[in-house]
Amino acid sequence: MTARKLLLEALVGMLGPDDVLVSCLGANSRYLPHLDVRAPAFALCDSMGAAIPLALGMALQRPDRHVVALEGDGSLLMCPNVLATVAAAHPSNLTALLWVNGHYESSGGQELPAAPVDWTSLAKGFGIAHVERVGDLPGLCAAFPRARAAKAPALLVVDVAFDPNEPIPPYSERPDEIRARFRIA
Amino acid sequence: MSATSLRSGAQRVVAGLEAAGVTLAASVPDTWIGKLMATVRASRTIRAVDAAREEEAVAIACGAALAGGRGAVLIQNAGLFNCGGVLAGLVDLYRIPCFFIVSYRGDRRDPVYYHEPKGRVTEPTLAAWQLPYAIADRTGDLTAQVGRGIEAAEKSRGPFVLLISGEDLE
Repeated sequence: MTARKLLLEALVGMLGPDDVLVSCLGANSRYLPHLDVRAPAFALCDSMGAAIPLALGMALQRPDRHVVALEGDGSLLMCPNVLATVAAAHPSNLTALLWVNGHYESSGGQELPAAPVDWTSLAKGFGIAHVERVGDLPGLCAAFPRARAAKAPALLVVDVAFDPNEPIPPYSERPDEIRARFRIA
Repeated sequence: MSATSLRSGAQRVVAGLEAAGVTLAASVPDTWIGKLMATVRASRTIRAVDAAREEEAVAIACGAALAGGRGAVLIQNAGLFNCGGVLAGLVDLYRIPCFFIVSYRGDRRDPVYYHEPKGRVTEPTLAAWQLPYAIADRTGDLTAQVGRGIEAAEKSRGPFVLLISGEDLE
């Protein structure tokens, strides 16, 4: 299974200044300051489950921008209902990536409840228009442009490796710095 | 149309949202909030967003604010109780203006007996969570009161809660 950093690097490489990136707490937000991100990025360091609805609000406010949300399976397991909210609002400019590693990585690596959640079926069941499962780096590079072109709410379910020894950098930006820098032109 | 010539309290509340530049209203309804949202849906300038749960509504409104708009959250007090985490970890942590209209179920004006426990803890919860709030005054200028709440949220870059009762919307 592919390491998150490689997938994240590939994703941000596909984003431009006209996109917007919203990251859930944990490894994604901790890696972002160390990557070359050309899109305005809003990184959460708390509030599990807030990334997708936050991105939805941005997408509805700015239909001229494509908004990409990064969320973890532990966070979405807390509030999968947000998929129904997204389906109902039906933005044409929102793609969410769901990192699936079966662990609460940022809180110590505990395992998620041992349920075989079928995220692609769940998302389709909630009415998300474009859902794909991604298993590796080439898959992500192929699937993301399709999601962007779908012109409908999209979810990419991305299998990502869990490595308890992964050297994830610590948070390096404070919320006030993230907030002050975030601007959608 | 002037505020005083509007027919209902709901119309006067929505006029306040519109006048203050609210662009998006995210909601989980109850009986009272549902009536208010029906009026919001008639607005030409406010996007109504139906959320499945109240924490989502808060994040959606914050997203609109971060993207250059103004968001509002319309929920019941029971739903506000669900929002402690997102209020602390998003609204407060990132200093995002967020205006709430919250139905004050279980206060002395609520005829439904089973809401009473929620009414009993609403203002103590707001105080404990350090949420600035006001109780709607339907005898005064509701439109202006909504505007003052939104400006308070903008000025503090944080939350402001306006508690309403069903009779305020009549």
